[in-house]
Amino acid sequence: MSEQISVAEAGVNAGEECVLQVLVTNQLGLHARPASQIAREAQAFASSITIVAEDQIADAKSILDLLTLAAAQGSTLEIRANGSDANQAVSRISELFAAKFGEK
Amino acid sequence: MARAIVHGISVSTGFAIGKAVFVNRRHRAEVPRQSIQPCMVEAEQTRLSAAFAAVSGDLAHARDRIPAELKEHQHILESHMMILKDPKLAGVAAKFIRELLVNAEWALEKAVAEVEKAFGALDDLYIRERLQDVRVMSDRVLTRLLGVAQDPLAIDGRVIIMAHDLTPADTVALEVAKIMGFATAQGGKTSHTGIMARTLGIPALVGSAELEDLVNDGDLVILDGVGGRILVDPDEDELTEFNELGAQFEDYQRRIYRGCQLPAETIDGYRVQVLANIELLEEVAAVLDNGGEGIGLYRTEYNYLGRSDLPGEDELAEKYSDLAAIMSPRKVIFRTLDLGADKFISCFGPLEEANPAMGLRAIRFCMKHPELFKTQLKAIARASAYGNVSIMFPMISGLREVRRAKAKLREAQDELRAEGKRFNPDMPVGIMIELPAAVMIASMLAEEVDFFSIGTNDLIQYSLGIDRTNPHVSYLYQPLHPAVLRSIKHVVDAAHQAGIEASLCGEVASDPFCVPILMGMQVDCISLSPQAIPGIKRIIRQARMGECKALLREVLACRTVGKINRLVRDTIFNKYPEELMFFASLLDNDDLGG
Repeated sequence: MSEQISVAEAGVNAGEECVLQVLVTNQLGLHARPASQIAREAQAFASSITIVAEDQIADAKSILDLLTLAAAQGSTLEIRANGSDANQAVSRISELFAAKFGEK
Repeated sequence: MARAIVHGISVSTGFAIGKAVFVNRRHRAEVPRQSIQPCMVEAEQTRLSAAFAAVSGDLAHARDRIPAELKEHQHILESHMMILKDPKLAGVAAKFIRELLVNAEWALEKAVAEVEKAFGALDDLYIRERLQDVRVMSDRVLTRLLGVAQDPLAIDGRVIIMAHDLTPADTVALEVAKIMGFATAQGGKTSHTGIMARTLGIPALVGSAELEDLVNDGDLVILDGVGGRILVDPDEDELTEFNELGAQFEDYQRRIYRGCQLPAETIDGYRVQVLANIELLEEVAAVLDNGGEGIGLYRTEYNYLGRSDLPGEDELAEKYSDLAAIMSPRKVIFRTLDLGADKFISCFGPLEEANPAMGLRAIRFCMKHPELFKTQLKAIARASAYGNVSIMFPMISGLREVRRAKAKLREAQDELRAEGKRFNPDMPVGIMIELPAAVMIASMLAEEVDFFSIGTNDLIQYSLGIDRTNPHVSYLYQPLHPAVLRSIKHVVDAAHQAGIEASLCGEVASDPFCVPILMGMQVDCISLSPQAIPGIKRIIRQARMGECKALLREVLACRTVGKINRLVRDTIFNKYPEELMFFASLLDNDDLGG
């Protein structure tokens, strides 16, 4: 993995937008480990990616932001990506939800 | 004379002489706020980004040459690197530079403040740890930006690491080979610094409140891990003295180490089992190296702490089975969860209890959360298929509690049977004797279980009604108080009458002044920290049961703890004049080493 740190401000990327709704199915909700998995994956994409809860938007590349969402089991979230690899980003992150973040 | 002497709690013994290097302090240098011109924004953002990249590079470097002993902590570095990449920190700070036209340092401070505000009220262990990560990382970036202070990753020469507090993350990023000791202002007996230092075999002091006021970066210091103090700017005589002590200590270590694999048998043929207290699987190597004959107390809390979810049955069973298999055929005693009091897991959080030591903890906590308890019971039972596993329940106060805990265990075993999973149906079941109530009914409890384990740390606290961490009453913490001695003896006798084993874990088991008395009571096993085993085994191997019994009789005839302590000290000093130089004792705070 690259050790490059991006200090660039999040801008509006030219490119496609991709949106997908996901259901939080894992027992413990979007917390700790899931948040760090999402951030880790999201950081690998060029697109800007956000996770939208009812009234909150979190930057998917920021574990700190994701933790403030604290989405519980059963809640519906929206993954939005904007940029050149938006499609791949959304599908990769939705896979994490589908796999319940490896919880049993 | 040294310029100053700083006291602390020794968590790892030994001596070190070296240069003091602070890796962090209570108060950082003030961060200056400077306005910048719009044309400087880009340059300032570049400066910020370069500092982040430099710190990240340092971490990557540290991760790549992390020593094998500390491999298990590698994830800490990973989690720090993720924080460095987090747009909420770096990105927001860059935004502040442009919007507020301020210097990078100030912008970063403001970004950290925003993060702290966002989490503000959330009382969750995992989140608190991430906040701690944010502070540690932003401090490191700030250090880069300000171009001041020691970069802990680039230490030159052999040093003694000083800090306000050392997180595992700080320790893991240090270049271990150059470190001769640790000293921190914060922390207590069980802090992580101690475990690290003992793993590395270097001395360490914690809870040394005056450290930051009295020691400067670059001072020459002597770290005395036996006496629990630091000599700042020592003179020639002191340097010579401690050089010599250091050599003697190494000599002594070699000597006790040589015999540590021999059984702990007195000259007249009485055998005691010497087991180890551990909380990490990784400590097993130290147990075997130091001659531990098994695990007398496996503290199972560790797998539950520092995470926001609960470990599952499979995860626990795998870890427990590994431990059982590695130690087999040696005994491993699993103590079921002792949460509450001072340890909490984030799923449940601290309760609002006026008196947590007497609150919902240990077996009470487990009975209140039957699913959590059953998961652990099933995992322990599964491990019993792989080795010599016993289980014990902490904080038992009465018969009904034991019976209910045992019923829970049977329930867990029934489920395993139905699931076709293997376990040892005859796994020995024991209880910890820590409450005066359990002492009084020991003979009744003995009919219910296969062994007793006397937890003296708690038993002393509850018997004498003192909180030993409370400095106003800690002088009353007297392991050889006549009431404590009678309690222990009563329990051992009750066990033997019922034909079951009595073992003892707690700090008295590693105190050379207490062990001969315990021997006199004919305790079957003692369980202590792995590093203390060689010294205690050597004491036992030079003892005679007859003498221990005589000492016990004399001690029981004394009416005050002062008299007991004097008697024990004189007797033991006369018996082992050469052995006691490097032991710190629990008895009176007199200078026992002198």
